[in-house]
Amino acid sequence: MMCEFFNSFCADPVNAIGGWFVLLPAAVLLLAAAASVVLRNLIHAALCLTLSFIALGVVYLALGAEFVGFVQLLVYVGAVAMVIVFAILLTRPDELERSRSFFSGFGPAGGTAAALATLAVLLGAIFTSPTGDRPMPPAVPVPVADLGKALMGDYVVALIVIGVLLTAALVGAAVLAMEDEP
Amino acid sequence: MTLQIVLGISAILFSLGLAAVLTRSHAIMLLMGIELMLGAANLNFLAFWRFSPDPAALAGVLFAIFSIAVAAAEAAVGLAIIILVYRNLRSVEVDDADQLKG
Repeated sequence: MMCEFFNSFCADPVNAIGGWFVLLPAAVLLLAAAASVVLRNLIHAALCLTLSFIALGVVYLALGAEFVGFVQLLVYVGAVAMVIVFAILLTRPDELERSRSFFSGFGPAGGTAAALATLAVLLGAIFTSPTGDRPMPPAVPVPVADLGKALMGDYVVALIVIGVLLTAALVGAAVLAMEDEP
Repeated sequence: MTLQIVLGISAILFSLGLAAVLTRSHAIMLLMGIELMLGAANLNFLAFWRFSPDPAALAGVLFAIFSIAVAAAEAAVGLAIIILVYRNLRSVEVDDADQLKG
């Protein structure tokens, strides 16, 4: 792998570094996600989750999907993380999680074992796939104007359905969270 | 840099989210785990788009954008349900919401 990296680095330094740059935010992403899974304090877990959202946006940017990267930063870091923190503060903020687990008979070990088994199956499938070791093609810039034209052209039905779904979900969320007695 | 490495990162992220959903008993932690798994799915969409032979086709990017929109709607409804459960049961532990248990 190092030799392959050396060859591609000599052939095209900017593209080689640009491709391998993904590993830096990916390391931050995985560490922050692991911390948010393990930490017992909910506020700390939510802040680590926010950091992992930011790192995921940087991964998208490094992969060349600029628009999705900024949408990720705006929607997840700006909205979803804040909504999660609000929900933590609206429920009890200072009580630590009780130690009961989802599999009450097996304890947390059962869930961890299931997640590790899933990881093993996924990694086995990925690293034995014949098409998986394809090199990264040179980046093709995606103008936002093209995305807009595609959304208004080929994908206009999906766009309308997403609009209806978002409206229904937000109205439903407001109705659910509304007080019964005014 | 190969497709396998990006897919491997995504698989690790998905497993972390799955571990959060399976081992934590706090409802908000379950929602956080689901968000991590959705992020892993989005990373897969973008990885397959980036490594595809025809990157000018925008399907991968658009699918990721739609997926983010659906995830935002899911987070809003999920948190509203959590607040409702807290108001009725005074608890956000999923083990306490067992009134349908036979």
